[in-house]
Amino acid sequence: MLKYYFKIALRNLWLQKGFSAINIIGLAIGLACFIMIALYVTDELSYDRYNEKADRIYRINSDIRFGGTDLNMAVSADPMGATLKKDYPQVEDFTRLYASEGSKLFKRGTQFITEDRVTYADSNLFNVFTFPSLIGNTKTALNEPNTVVINETTAKKYFTTSENAMGKMMECKDDKTQLYKVTAVIKGIPKNSHFNFDFFLSMDNVEYEFGNFLSHNFHTYILLKAGTDYKAFNKNFIQVIDKYILPQAKQFMNIKSMEDFAKSGNKIEYSLIPLTAIHLHSERNVELSANGNIQYVYIFSAVAIFILLIACINFMNLSTARSAGRAKEVGIRKVLGTEKKSLIGQFLTESTITVFIALFIAVGITWLSLSWFNNLAGKAMQLSTLLKPQYMIFLATLPFVVGTLAGMYPAFFLSSFQPITVLKGKINAGFKKSTLRSSLVIFQFAASIILIIGTIIIYKQLNYIQTTKTGFNKDQLLVVDNASMKTSTAETFRNEVSKLAGVKASSFGGFLPVSNSSRNDQTFFTDAVMSDKNGFNMQVWRVDYNYIPTLGMEILSGRNFSEQYGSDSSALIINETLAKSLGPGDPIGKAIYNSDGPDKPTRAYTIIGVVKNFNFESLRKNVAPLCMRLGNNKWMSAYRVESGDIKSLLAKVEDKFKAMSPGMPFNYSFLDDSFDNMYREEQRVGKVALTFALLAVLIACLGLFGLATYMAEQRTKEIGVRKVLGATVPNIVTMLSKDFLKLVFIAFLIAAPIAWLAMHEWLKDFAFRTNIGWWIFIIAGVVAMSIALFTVSFQAIKAAIANPLKSLKAD
Amino acid sequence: MIQLKKSYKYYNTGSRKAYVLSDISLDIAAGEFVSIMGPSGSGKSTLLHILGLLEEPNDGEYLFLGENVSHLTEKKRTELRRNQIGFVFQAYHLIDELTVYENIETPLLYKGLNSSERKSRVAELLDKFNIVGRKDLFPSQLSGGQQQLVGIARAIAGNPKVIFADEPTGNLHSEQATEIMELFKKLNEQEKVTIVQVTHSEHNATYGNRIIRLKDGLVVQ
Repeated sequence: MLKYYFKIALRNLWLQKGFSAINIIGLAIGLACFIMIALYVTDELSYDRYNEKADRIYRINSDIRFGGTDLNMAVSADPMGATLKKDYPQVEDFTRLYASEGSKLFKRGTQFITEDRVTYADSNLFNVFTFPSLIGNTKTALNEPNTVVINETTAKKYFTTSENAMGKMMECKDDKTQLYKVTAVIKGIPKNSHFNFDFFLSMDNVEYEFGNFLSHNFHTYILLKAGTDYKAFNKNFIQVIDKYILPQAKQFMNIKSMEDFAKSGNKIEYSLIPLTAIHLHSERNVELSANGNIQYVYIFSAVAIFILLIACINFMNLSTARSAGRAKEVGIRKVLGTEKKSLIGQFLTESTITVFIALFIAVGITWLSLSWFNNLAGKAMQLSTLLKPQYMIFLATLPFVVGTLAGMYPAFFLSSFQPITVLKGKINAGFKKSTLRSSLVIFQFAASIILIIGTIIIYKQLNYIQTTKTGFNKDQLLVVDNASMKTSTAETFRNEVSKLAGVKASSFGGFLPVSNSSRNDQTFFTDAVMSDKNGFNMQVWRVDYNYIPTLGMEILSGRNFSEQYGSDSSALIINETLAKSLGPGDPIGKAIYNSDGPDKPTRAYTIIGVVKNFNFESLRKNVAPLCMRLGNNKWMSAYRVESGDIKSLLAKVEDKFKAMSPGMPFNYSFLDDSFDNMYREEQRVGKVALTFALLAVLIACLGLFGLATYMAEQRTKEIGVRKVLGATVPNIVTMLSKDFLKLVFIAFLIAAPIAWLAMHEWLKDFAFRTNIGWWIFIIAGVVAMSIALFTVSFQAIKAAIANPLKSLKAD
Repeated sequence: MIQLKKSYKYYNTGSRKAYVLSDISLDIAAGEFVSIMGPSGSGKSTLLHILGLLEEPNDGEYLFLGENVSHLTEKKRTELRRNQIGFVFQAYHLIDELTVYENIETPLLYKGLNSSERKSRVAELLDKFNIVGRKDLFPSQLSGGQQQLVGIARAIAGNPKVIFADEPTGNLHSEQATEIMELFKKLNEQEKVTIVQVTHSEHNATYGNRIIRLKDGLVVQ
């Protein structure tokens, strides 16, 4: 019997080629989208899980509020790990990374290469994390100073093979030169890690005043013993603060107790975050890489389910619609004595086979488009992930579930009829106005419209970010890395470049209003006598005289730094946020105080100007308090360029650089690129969302097209009669399209508020956000309506212009 | 073998009952060839459907092969249809998606015959009806008369006790009609199959050995 079902199923698919094609392609595209998003979500969820001890590794986070400024950091104080291990037996081990120094230069042959992925690491890093070694013993590799562990790619880059690299010396240059011996080569760290480095330098080479509980500069990971509840463990930090941090704080500030400190609205808190939660749940200062966002995982999961549902509904709708055309067959079979269960079996076999075919095509589509999707989403996903048992089970079950759902309705519906009723063709009327099918079409279009609205709003927000007034001019600002130059050379270089045609202004300063540039957070006091009552934290940026004009910032009151004033070395220019928090009255001329350390004298600074607020972190955040003071760092220079031919200007700058700094890499960037990089995640999400929204609409339209085709076929006779009676072509087209448009309109009414709520939630994440205009909804509605109308009218017009006699004769 | 006693069939149209058949009683013995005649709307087809267990009378008793089938479950009725009854329709009602061969084979599949039994039975029928050459064609590729031949072959494939034919020649021209009627006669006489046909044509009625005339839902003769 099963063989018979198969034969009938395949023959039916073949006989109704057009219908089957729409049905299978729609479902295949839907399944392919679903598989790809599932791969994406799996990848996001897989971060750091390859570590054998992943479930026991935790990072220490620090949350500090001082003077109304919140600092939520992914780093903690250097002695914290060791202290925890000493005092708490639950802590099996700890390890630290010190990555604050940023990029370094490494010598290959005679040339230096800039390496960004460099960190100092404790020697037991490899006991905590699972980074398999290719050569050398990672357990002891970093025990000695002047040692380095590199990955395979780096080994090949510098020494052609890993074997060659072992034991070799590498010359590293930042403000001084240091030789490191390669003591081990590891395999590359998997891409799904929240940090990824090419060089691990021995912690012994870090120049740092170790033992300071008040400076937070180390990414510290602790390994808890199995069975330890990390949430309960978090409570121990209160003791740690009392025992170690308070005594140190008292040395330079008048703090009586932690309670007192807290009463003034301040706080110091530490907590553990599970390693596996970092990628999706942590968005702190000083993360080791841009993390993902659980919100996007939710959004994409929802999109995947939406698309799968739309595709399945399509399939069901088309199958049920078509099954009406098979009422006669069912009737005959019943007259011939077919039992209900064998009819059901036949329909279910048919739909299940169809889903299987679609699934195979879907896997094919995924295979073909995975590299494109990887590029779009910035990932390295592989189709082989699908071979995991949970996927295999899911994919193998899917055809049966969807097949059953799709086949169930026609199977039970048709087979329950009295054969003679079916033969007389009476049930067609019931099929035309099926509430079930109408609701399914409404659902499909509602989901599509939600995706359309969501995509428009994501794009609107991206556009808003790109065009919003950031308080500085990010266009055509060239930033050159001078770190490899001596201070005097850097100055000559800047002067030379400034003389080039097209360069309008220039400045030294490593502090730039984009992520991943220098930051410096310090505590200031409004009074010369320091206490926890009058302190506050803010950014202190060291700049030069030309910084503000070069970056196109606006001074609201007061003045810029000037060489005419000898006292400007203790002058500050503050931003609006800080001006506001200093209270009423003109801030110009006011003094604020700070001290470099517990035993250092207090220093007074005078405010000479207020600069218009500019965004120096992501637009997700509000502008924090900030001040600028004169500084002498020369490791970056910025140039305002106004040239039609940026390329040739850039070549000239490079020539000058190479001439003055031979053998050193010329590293430059444009500020607007760096700015855009801050929103790469959003841009990716925007692109991915757009792609899937379009596909969802396409699938929904395929379904609508199929339904319209079927409807027109079903009503051929009616159309014929109406035309004989004098109906015009537009009459007929309107009649056929009206019902569908009504459904799309209802879908719109349902989708609009849902989309509004969802996107309102999403936008809440941004401190600076676009508004959700009503026109977005109108556009989405009109787009959905037009697409639906176009799809339906194609069939409607075809039916309407057909010769009526033909259809009537045939009956 | 068929006994219908005081049977009624009506439809509720608003508050009133519209009677299609009223107080019908009839007896058909095994081996008879009965023609049901009457004007349009007299209830011929409904009567045939009731006899063929496709519809149930609202009132009355129906004994089929001596068994009271008035209130059988759908499952039981299906079983009787499958094993004892063959149908021939005016519009042939072949399954468009199946070939001639497969159309004839379908009732055998449902009877649960194995592959080789089915093969030999279908071959026998194809041979008997002279349609071996067309066994792989689809219904749309056949003329009306040829389709009806397949319809009859399919009806008798399962060796039913009785064939119900609803205006089997209604869509055919006279030459094809004669051929079909001759075939029915032959089946009735040589293979002792009971045949009940509904027809408009007095000429076709003469092929049978009894005529039941209906008018407005009543047996008039």
